[in-house]
Amino acid sequence: MATYKITHSLLTSWLYAMKENPFEDTTTESSAYDDFLRALRREPSEPNEAMQAGIDFENAITDYLAGKESCVPDNWLNAVSVIAEHIRGARLQVDLRKVISVNGFQILLHGKLDALRSGTIHDIKHSKTYDRGKYFNSTQHPMYFALCEAAEQFTYEVSNGSDVWTETYRRDETRSIVPIISEFLKYLQMSGMIETYRKYWIVA
Amino acid sequence: MIKKANTVQSGEKRIRMLIAGYPGIGKSTLALSAPKPLHIDIDFGIDRIEPRYRKDYIQPTSYEEILGDLTPENTADYDTLVFDTGGKLISLMSRWAIAQNPKYGQTDGSLSLKGYGVVGREFVRLMDYCFYELKKHIVFVFHATEEKDGDNTRLRIKVEGQTKNNVWEPMDLGGFVEMMGNDRTIGFSNCERYFAKGTRGIHGIYKIPALSPEKPNDFLTKLFAEYNKKSADEIAADEELKRKYDAAMATAREAIGAIVNAETANAAAATIANIDHALTSYTEVKDMWQEKTKSLGLIYDKATKSYKDPEAANGNV
Repeated sequence: MATYKITHSLLTSWLYAMKENPFEDTTTESSAYDDFLRALRREPSEPNEAMQAGIDFENAITDYLAGKESCVPDNWLNAVSVIAEHIRGARLQVDLRKVISVNGFQILLHGKLDALRSGTIHDIKHSKTYDRGKYFNSTQHPMYFALCEAAEQFTYEVSNGSDVWTETYRRDETRSIVPIISEFLKYLQMSGMIETYRKYWIVA
Repeated sequence: MIKKANTVQSGEKRIRMLIAGYPGIGKSTLALSAPKPLHIDIDFGIDRIEPRYRKDYIQPTSYEEILGDLTPENTADYDTLVFDTGGKLISLMSRWAIAQNPKYGQTDGSLSLKGYGVVGREFVRLMDYCFYELKKHIVFVFHATEEKDGDNTRLRIKVEGQTKNNVWEPMDLGGFVEMMGNDRTIGFSNCERYFAKGTRGIHGIYKIPALSPEKPNDFLTKLFAEYNKKSADEIAADEELKRKYDAAMATAREAIGAIVNAETANAAAATIANIDHALTSYTEVKDMWQEKTKSLGLIYDKATKSYKDPEAANGNV
């Protein structure tokens, strides 16, 4: 039986396209929908400004933890040091995979945890704007809880480069990722895109 | 004095709490059910509280007045400082900040971006002073406001700008007061309607008992006691898990640290296999192991279930 990969990014891309296009009218062109199609076809894309800032911010935290404080831009130093202390001693970039069965499909969940320590998953976010509860509907913590069964908490470490906010979710208050994946697969089947998914996301 | 890790948070911890809800739902009365409260009535709303539930109060008209009143001597008879409302406190702080430096304000009297930063930091400083130096419980009352988010209507605390996120950071508890049928409730768990904050076993929705002349207004006093009780229980339960986790990680670090080739990896594998895991130690140790064997280029031979050095795997030895 073939196995197909699903990542939190793919689900996010799909949910964002659906939110932008709530009537699920696939004939409507929208940027979010196009982005989803590109993600579905696994087309490589250059990181945009916000994505690059996120990558740079994470690298700055890694540099700080490695004692390379001088590599951290001055305007980020305070926020970087706060988050670095939250995750000091954690395993960084923990690559996890797990096979589950959904709607008759064998699905490989795949994710990279920014930091893992003592029962808590930490995910670093660089975001220009933030409102408390921003990640409530994210698929990331449900996905990562499924990948790391022993984790009890998931904390988003959010920063705009100067302030730091934490948003913590407990396992017992987090929805399962399975129904979300199930809806995703149903959508692909109904919209005739399941073969595209099979083609680009098959792993074995 | 060095304390054992499990004693750090035990005992009667002072609690920082945020209460939010619509005007008139009884937030102030609820806040005054905390242990021995001093009511910092910045909103000048004490007349809306039934006389029998009123407590000693101050009605400051400036932030300087609050700072002047909140001295160790003045607050010695109180266990809790109730800031009512947090939104008004931020307004007084904003005026104070702009008076310090006009650059913190804009021509319309609102805060500039820098001003928000100053007020945010001052809020945290005041919290720290009340909590760590005065050693009081702190209760902040905030009005709630509705915000549309797609099809959902979410409740948020009514504060201007970035401050609405910063005020949550130091809080131990944050709950939204709502009516559910005829019952007044306070919710501490995240849901579609609001994003609250529950810690130490205080989660979900609590029903607030209806007040009557026979019943004391003591909901928060009991809640704080429950918080401390659950906190102590949780620490006791966590202690064993944490001890096992630390032991597992220490054993793994030592064993993996000693790996320099296939022979030492195979020797370490037996030690690693016998580790008694707790929390996420299994995943963390597996990650450490993979990183080390990969860095040495060791090859796992499924047939012999052991590692080989890269040269041996290539048939060079």
